[in-house]
Amino acid sequence: MSSEFDPDPTEAQYCAHTDYSEGTAHEELPATGEGSVGIERDVWDALYTVEDPEMPISIVDLGLIYAVGVEPETGEARIDMTLTYTGCPARNMLRDDIRSAVEAVEGVEDVLINLVWSPAWSTAMVTEQGREDLRDFGLSV
Amino acid sequence: MAAAKQLPGPQDLSDDEREALEALLFSLADDEFVIAERYTEWQVRAPTIESDISVANIAQDELGHARLYYDLLEDFGYDEPDLIWERDADEWRHSTLCELPFEEGDWADYVVRSFLFDEAEYIRLQALEGSSYPRLADRIGKIMAEEKYHREHARSWLERLCEDDESRARMQDAVDRLMPHALTLFAPTDEDIEARIDDLGIRTENLLTMREEWLDEVVPRLESVGLHVEEAQLPEQYDVHHADFDMPDELGRDQSHTDAWFDLYDEFTKSYRELGRHEAAKIMKDPDDE
Repeated sequence: MSSEFDPDPTEAQYCAHTDYSEGTAHEELPATGEGSVGIERDVWDALYTVEDPEMPISIVDLGLIYAVGVEPETGEARIDMTLTYTGCPARNMLRDDIRSAVEAVEGVEDVLINLVWSPAWSTAMVTEQGREDLRDFGLSV
Repeated sequence: MAAAKQLPGPQDLSDDEREALEALLFSLADDEFVIAERYTEWQVRAPTIESDISVANIAQDELGHARLYYDLLEDFGYDEPDLIWERDADEWRHSTLCELPFEEGDWADYVVRSFLFDEAEYIRLQALEGSSYPRLADRIGKIMAEEKYHREHARSWLERLCEDDESRARMQDAVDRLMPHALTLFAPTDEDIEARIDDLGIRTENLLTMREEWLDEVVPRLESVGLHVEEAQLPEQYDVHHADFDMPDELGRDQSHTDAWFDLYDEFTKSYRELGRHEAAKIMKDPDDE
């Protein structure tokens, strides 16, 4: 196997290029709450107010929320969500922000956060609005 | 391969099923946790700023993967102190490759170790994608996507460090030292339990087959950069023919470990013990505790 590394500094090359894959798009994702009504609509609105701790983008536009459901009888809100990567250090912080935001919704009695890893998050899950927000921040996805 | 019957959720498993899952999950989680613990020793010491950041990021990924497996063990009622801070050192199941200290200042050791580990991990993940335990199968895709970059990083450094004779000689030393320990990645926790893991379809390839696949991958790649593996015959595909390698006295998987592990364990549990903790301090609650 030949190597791209060349010890001659006059012929220095950039280090190996890593091709970051786009990931797979899923028909039902990103979930944005479009068409939802009643308390579920209010929960989605609350989730839109929660931002990623590192970038000025709503977690909904980032594509972290996979599903929202509110049990009409008990008022239990269930949020299916993922994280951008497994080692995400903001896991607990995000969960806490989400919990506070959703608990404040009128009619919600309890919040259940279900962390899921499939389908795996990728930049394909970022919404158009999210792409715009990230571009303003200086990131192109 | 015939699809095995899907296993039920964590609360509805039989004792035998749960025992098999636990053995596998502890092997997976402990490998990731302990190798990440070692990788962090390279922070602010790696040879270039890019490699420094890479090794830190890879360590963080491996900790993320460990957490995904430990989460599944928490389904069975364990908490973080049970799994990490208060579990006796001689109950851990990671391969001895993960626990060995790095030769001082030897980046070749890191490169060879991460190469051998990441190639093995990838093969192991492929055998878990179709696991009969849905909560395990569900998280494998995410882990594999991250592992792809680890392999790329290790392979690229493997080639670079074999460019000149002096550096290649140090790589060869690392291969000679680490190869026997890398083989323990495929050692059984217990023969009966490993057979049950396969029978239940929790894993779709057995240890021996995965070890062959791994040797078929790593040996030619090492040879292509001028390194050699003692006792390895050139592989012929689809044939179980590799010589019986000498295994180290301690295998890790069966809970036997080198002295280095007990020192490492004392180090990373030191604060927890000295502060007299009985639970893992958390700034916030964990989403999986919901």
